[in-house]
Amino acid sequence: MAGTGKAHLRDGATLEVHDLVVEFPGPKKSVVHAVSGVSFDLNTGETLGVVGESGCGKTTTGRAIMQLEEATAGSIILRGQDLCDLRGPALRSARRAMQMIFQDPVSSLNPSRRVKDIVREGLDIWGDPDGSFSADRIDEILDAVGLGGADVGERRPHEFSGGQCQRICIARALVMDPEVLILDEPVSALDVSVQAQILNLLQQLKDRFGLTMMFISHDLAVVKNISDRVMVMYLGKVCETAPTDQLYANPAHPYSRALLASIPGHNLDLPPASELISGELPSPIDPPSGCRFRTRCPAATDRCAAEEPILQAVGDDHYVACHHPVAVSL
Amino acid sequence: MRKRLGLLFWVSAVYIGVLVFLALFRDLLPIRDPDALGIRTGDCRQFQDPGWNSYFGCDNLGRDLFSQVVHGVRPALFLGFTVTIVSGTVGTLLGVLAGFLRGVFDRVVTTIIDISLAFPALVLLIAVRASFGNGIVVFIVLFSVLGIPGYARIVRGASLSLSEREFVDAAAAMGATTWRIVRRELLPNVFLPVLSFAFIGFAVVILAEGGLAFIGLSLDQITWGKLINDGRVEIRDHPHLALIPSTVMFGTVLAFNLVGDGLRSLVAPREVATARRLIAEGSHQPGEEGAVVHVRNLRTVLHTPGGTVEPVDDVSFSVAPGESLGIVGESGSGKTMILRSIVGAFPLADVTRGGTVEVAGVDMLRSPDATIRRTLGTEIGTISQNPLTALNPVRRIGDQIIEPMLVHGTRSKQEARDRALELLEQVGIPAPEQRLREYPHQLSGGMRQRATIAIALANEPQLLLADEPTTALDVTVQDQILRLLDGLRADRGMALVLVTHDLAVVKGFTDSVAIVYAGQVVEYGPTAEIFANPQHRYTVALIRSMPNLDLPSHSELATIEGAPPSLIDPPTGCRFADRCPAVQQKCRDESPVRSGTDAHSYSCWFPMSAQPVEVS
Repeated sequence: MAGTGKAHLRDGATLEVHDLVVEFPGPKKSVVHAVSGVSFDLNTGETLGVVGESGCGKTTTGRAIMQLEEATAGSIILRGQDLCDLRGPALRSARRAMQMIFQDPVSSLNPSRRVKDIVREGLDIWGDPDGSFSADRIDEILDAVGLGGADVGERRPHEFSGGQCQRICIARALVMDPEVLILDEPVSALDVSVQAQILNLLQQLKDRFGLTMMFISHDLAVVKNISDRVMVMYLGKVCETAPTDQLYANPAHPYSRALLASIPGHNLDLPPASELISGELPSPIDPPSGCRFRTRCPAATDRCAAEEPILQAVGDDHYVACHHPVAVSL
Repeated sequence: MRKRLGLLFWVSAVYIGVLVFLALFRDLLPIRDPDALGIRTGDCRQFQDPGWNSYFGCDNLGRDLFSQVVHGVRPALFLGFTVTIVSGTVGTLLGVLAGFLRGVFDRVVTTIIDISLAFPALVLLIAVRASFGNGIVVFIVLFSVLGIPGYARIVRGASLSLSEREFVDAAAAMGATTWRIVRRELLPNVFLPVLSFAFIGFAVVILAEGGLAFIGLSLDQITWGKLINDGRVEIRDHPHLALIPSTVMFGTVLAFNLVGDGLRSLVAPREVATARRLIAEGSHQPGEEGAVVHVRNLRTVLHTPGGTVEPVDDVSFSVAPGESLGIVGESGSGKTMILRSIVGAFPLADVTRGGTVEVAGVDMLRSPDATIRRTLGTEIGTISQNPLTALNPVRRIGDQIIEPMLVHGTRSKQEARDRALELLEQVGIPAPEQRLREYPHQLSGGMRQRATIAIALANEPQLLLADEPTTALDVTVQDQILRLLDGLRADRGMALVLVTHDLAVVKGFTDSVAIVYAGQVVEYGPTAEIFANPQHRYTVALIRSMPNLDLPSHSELATIEGAPPSLIDPPTGCRFADRCPAVQQKCRDESPVRSGTDAHSYSCWFPMSAQPVEVS
């Protein structure tokens, strides 16, 4: 299996994910292996970009951290507390520390509620202990996401464009003052000029509030723009993780190289994608033995079928799960 | 509001309002005692016909039918109202919890619904009435229990799909309790469908009472059902005794149904099926020799119920064999409408097209239908964004590839089969023999898109129109499909028109590009030239806002503030003026004329090359 191993984990991280496994029931009593032993961590104030194609488990990982999917095994530790052990009121209470932004901003907002009620929902649930969240504070947060204006709070979601709806979603999450913000394809449904607005906004908010973000996307150019570190996933496994500029300059895993080479019009020093990847994504119901990428990898050997590669350091803070990584120039 | 709901809705609502008034204030109204025997008091003769003395006539004992009908209003509405409230509330709660909680609770509720729908209601009614008598409470309980499954079923369906929506996930992530999610996120969104169903359920209750009265099982007071049943005996000689209460009941049921339908149309607006007409204006200007597709001053106007929209405004371009053109724009820019205008495929609306569209020498706007159909089938291949909806799910891949060849008689059946096999190989589908016999759902997304390309190529078209062909696909698959299209274009000398929102795709795979903004081509020229030396301010902003792998991470991206103008009433002057960093008064007053060269043209009063311009 491509990508177990914990050599890349750091001490004192805000969020630690250890050996996360998420499985769903498939057709005819089979099991869909959506996420199979993924470990990573997030430091305070850091943005981790998670990239991979559909079926790589990136969204399921995000939802499992949010406790929106049940983890089959593994632990998700937020500030020393394992969320997978929590149930009922304790779980609800722990959830406040994490918020999620979804791909479809329109579908993320209840059409029958007013914007100010949507944004202050978290305060209505958890109360307002120190009284700091007055109506002014709601206006301040709306202003911070670029929706300042007298009557914004009184309007309903259908009166706003997709980009504005995504700003409302961000405001709703920020009110909770989350320790970790998980963003699942937050700009994929938006036009390129609006996408740039949201990316710039997230960067500003990160600088202003010290946000800790997990940014899930299939778009490598977007991920490069927003992330401090990047993690590449394939078929439920981690392939490679490294600081952003390092990963884009020196991809070591064959799959990372194939992904980058597939970007239309890139100027990277890579062979054509057709020489780096072949065939089709195997079924997550019956994933390949050993390295999961081996069926499509031009460098695969017998060892890749027999033995699962473990994440190992190939450079400074650069880890790759491959028996035959491409040499990294430092 | 009035216009959307229609006259019938309001007539019905007024009718129901009158009934409610009669039910509430019947004792204050100057009407006779419904039980007073007119033959004894002398007020009314036996079987008196309707007239000024007695509006609806009298029955065999001279009782006044009008006051009887009025007294029947209260039990009808009371029964309908209480039953609707009780079954609606219980059914809605069961349905919303089943749809949201799922699992065991859902299975129990659905099983109960299924059993109760299969239960012979009439037998239950007869049995219950025999044991508990004919008081109104018995009827309310009975009808309510029978009504619950209907509500539970529709609310469960609606809640299942609502629970998939992200705002429910967002509430859960916020730490909301189940009850809070049900109350705040789900119930408000099922209210309108339930209300619409409630009006129809109300009508069903009124009808049910009538039906029961018919077999002698009614309430212990005056009801419409009883009046109809009593009048039935005299239907030959005194038809008014049955007809009048029947008409009142019919009107009531109809009114409730119409109000229910009206409310439903608020939830799911019905498509207004306007007759679709394609009108051509102006005259044809033959294109230059050698272009496969030639578009000159194309103007498309959609006549929709909401107003007249002009999504394509004076668009011109041409593509030679073996060349590719990218049409780029953001959502709502009209880029897809340009393609639709070429093939004449529009959603339900009357459309006027003006200017010239010529494909392989055929005037696509004014030629006879048969000629246009033939050109569409044999000279143009189309590829759409979503291969799953483009393919017919119940037909084999092979049959769908063969179809266009047989329809246009370009090949015999055997030749078509051989060609289908050859096409599947050419588009890179492994094991083509086997794939021919498979159905679309057996293929992956990338393979499906390859299959639609094979269909598009079946009749060896000169022109391939691709509308966002890779937007639904993963990046490695996108690369494969774009390379495939590029290879086919080069090998077969086809002209390729690629519509996309993705500048990177255009940069990598087209020879020339048209930048579309608010229905107009604002810049047009060779791709390399436009990326290296963009002239229109919108093009510049678009290119700069694109996240770029050449930039270091955390680079601030250029943005375009504001939103594009409405195409229903576009502004005068330059349509980009409100969002342009270099806007001048002239831009707002006058539409920019096309400048530059034939090869690279742009519609901007202050293009990049006309420096210096004060950039605010």
